[in-house]
Amino acid sequence: MNNEYAISVNNVGKTYRSRDGQSNTVLKGLDFHVKPGQFVSIVGQSGSGKTTLLKTISGLQEPTEGEILVKGRPIRDGIEDIAMVFQSPVLLPWRNNLDNVLLPLEFRGTRTDESRRYAQELLEMVGLGGKAKRYSYELSGGMQQRVAICRALVSHPELLLMDEPFGALDAMTRDSMNFEIQRIWQATGCSVLFVTHSISEAVWLGDRVVVVGDRPGRIIADISIELPRPRGKEHRFSTAFSDYVSEIESHIGVLTGIS
Amino acid sequence: MASPEISDIGDVGSDGLRRSSPEAALGEPSAPRPKRFSRDSVAAGAKAVAGIVGLFVVWQLLVSILAPPEYLFVGPVSAFAELIERPEYFASNTLVTLQEALAGFALGTALGVLCGAALHYSTTVRSFLYPALIAIDTIPKVALAPLFIVWFGFGFESKAFVAMAIAFFPLVINTYDGLSSVPHELQELARINKASPWKKMTKIDFIYAVPSIFSGAKISISLAVGGAVVGEFIAGSKGLGYVVLLANSQVDLPSMFAAFIVLAAIALALFFIVDFAGRKLAPWKSHAK
Repeated sequence: MNNEYAISVNNVGKTYRSRDGQSNTVLKGLDFHVKPGQFVSIVGQSGSGKTTLLKTISGLQEPTEGEILVKGRPIRDGIEDIAMVFQSPVLLPWRNNLDNVLLPLEFRGTRTDESRRYAQELLEMVGLGGKAKRYSYELSGGMQQRVAICRALVSHPELLLMDEPFGALDAMTRDSMNFEIQRIWQATGCSVLFVTHSISEAVWLGDRVVVVGDRPGRIIADISIELPRPRGKEHRFSTAFSDYVSEIESHIGVLTGIS
Repeated sequence: MASPEISDIGDVGSDGLRRSSPEAALGEPSAPRPKRFSRDSVAAGAKAVAGIVGLFVVWQLLVSILAPPEYLFVGPVSAFAELIERPEYFASNTLVTLQEALAGFALGTALGVLCGAALHYSTTVRSFLYPALIAIDTIPKVALAPLFIVWFGFGFESKAFVAMAIAFFPLVINTYDGLSSVPHELQELARINKASPWKKMTKIDFIYAVPSIFSGAKISISLAVGGAVVGEFIAGSKGLGYVVLLANSQVDLPSMFAAFIVLAAIALALFFIVDFAGRKLAPWKSHAK
């Protein structure tokens, strides 16, 4: 297959079969490719299988149809450079923030003094350099999620999967996290698959927005977002931005708009 | 955030300094952090002691006023007098019961944690053993005591095994629950990073389960003392259970009540030791998650 893509999702389907013979198709005929360093937002209503898609790409679940290639290799071969950020930060309460960031490296058995310095650098990048020795209960929800992002980045992933990472945050924190993640992504150069419920978040962050329809989950639109980088607040109020938002809303079938 | 109106309840206001920290910015979980080992808990301890002392006072007052015959009911003064009169007798028998209970508790904890872990990690074990365990659990463990006497004789071992049988189940259930409550995101994090099962167990699962295991241990420790006493009831020539039985045959109620007080005291002390150890090992439990 083609090696020029960070991820190739080739005609992927996922069907769960329950014990009484009923089958439930969650994903059907998904086909899309992500170039290295691209930021791809995935939007869709709840229940459209977005989380299943991410889990399949991360190798946590296997597709029942099609295949997923990461840098041209099937994911079963063991991919070293994928990381995931969940909706909930799930930091370990008995570890300080620095040790939480280092957890993936301990799992891999590659923790060194050098990686300790890198973890500290990551915390500094997200503005938590002074909180390395603090514990998660001392941090706000937004700060905890920033630590979780550092934990994902510590293994130098080439592909970052984010499953509604800011869904549990309040609107103000969410806005500042959007700026943050744009900065982090530009600094690290990794490819990002970003699942969200928020259309404006998807447009503001993404190079592309993939719209997933529900029952079964399938791609109903794939829209390139031609807004200049880095994007600032002003882009949220531009005509181009609201045109993208309303275009996507029309695909999803949302009647009432948000600006 | 800290709402001003709660600060007029007792000592809660002393907590205010921690909660108004600068990082109390956006989206902080608003659950107040329960504090341990603070001035509040000292006050709580004082109240608990006052409650126990008060209970003794009421008990003694009732006995003084109603003046029941000594072969029916005695007050704490007579019971404590008995303790002071025969300190070695009570000390040696307490030591016996304590050793039986602790041996049973230690064995029951070790086996219970192992069993709980086996139930969690092996679906085979779970599907075969879980229903069987629940079924066995319905047997009153006290009823097993005569069997253990048959198997292990009249000495220390049979009592320790009764204590073990009783202490075992809360630990199985709580270990299993604790391990099963590890958030699925952490499991996925371990899988994405190709953590070995051993690393996942030692770095996440078992630490996560510590508070739950200790909840089970707190139940088990008091049960273990009871188990040892039951064993001594059935066949024993030593221990506080034997003291109670002997006092019964001699209608020596001061001695019987003295044994009750000692039993309650050691169960209470052991409970607090386990509770303390649990909090030391899992200090994060004292903070809001």
